[in-house]
Amino acid sequence: MLKLATLLAAATISAAPPALAATGSITITSPVDGAKLDAMAQTKLVYAVVPGPGGDHTHLYIDGKEVAILRELEGTRTLETMTPGAHGICIKVVNKAHTPIGLQKCIKVTVE
Amino acid sequence: MDWQSLGYAAIQVAHNFGAVSVVGGPLFALWPTPFDRKRARPIAWLVFAGWIVQIVSGAAFGAASYVWFGHFPDIHGIAVAALLVKIACAVAGLVLTAYHLANRREGAGDARRIWRSLLALGATALIAAAFLRWLS
Repeated sequence: MLKLATLLAAATISAAPPALAATGSITITSPVDGAKLDAMAQTKLVYAVVPGPGGDHTHLYIDGKEVAILRELEGTRTLETMTPGAHGICIKVVNKAHTPIGLQKCIKVTVE
Repeated sequence: MDWQSLGYAAIQVAHNFGAVSVVGGPLFALWPTPFDRKRARPIAWLVFAGWIVQIVSGAAFGAASYVWFGHFPDIHGIAVAALLVKIACAVAGLVLTAYHLANRREGAGDARRIWRSLLALGATALIAAAFLRWLS
């Protein structure tokens, strides 16, 4: 029993998200951080993800709300229409259980 | 292999066997041989245990995510609805199986209806699981 507890404790300690995130990366090529977007134009998100150990796929968030699952690690996604004003766009790497593992990339845009 | 994956796999093993019990048990009680209350009783215990395993292992998925990553699984929309359906099925299945086990005097017709209901609950939970898995 003690051995099991020790193993579980070791597993918990070795599960620190930053360690998992260290070898992964997320790149958002477009729109760039701070971009001003046309409210009447379609905005395409261009991204590339290296999920790293423990990562499986990504979730896309706009203003903190999940709007899509991105199963392709590299690609283009047309974003839903955003109201004028400042918005945050985030991509988070999640594991197979849909749990964020700590690796994420967020940008801010302004829709005019 | 990392510890998190091993842990999730262990929980998944329990969850899968629970699913087999809650769907396969009622199916086997009703088919292919004619319904027999005596034969069905040990199966009812298996189904009862299966629902407990489903509830515990389902909660363990969330707990493992929280312990290891500091977050519960990030699910929305259809996946949340599917999770609620699964929880409702599990609670109803557990209560119905407990009622069936406690009520030895129910008629054969009532027993058959309970087993059909248990089969429906198990199948619904299994269908909801697929939506929970893929439509987060």
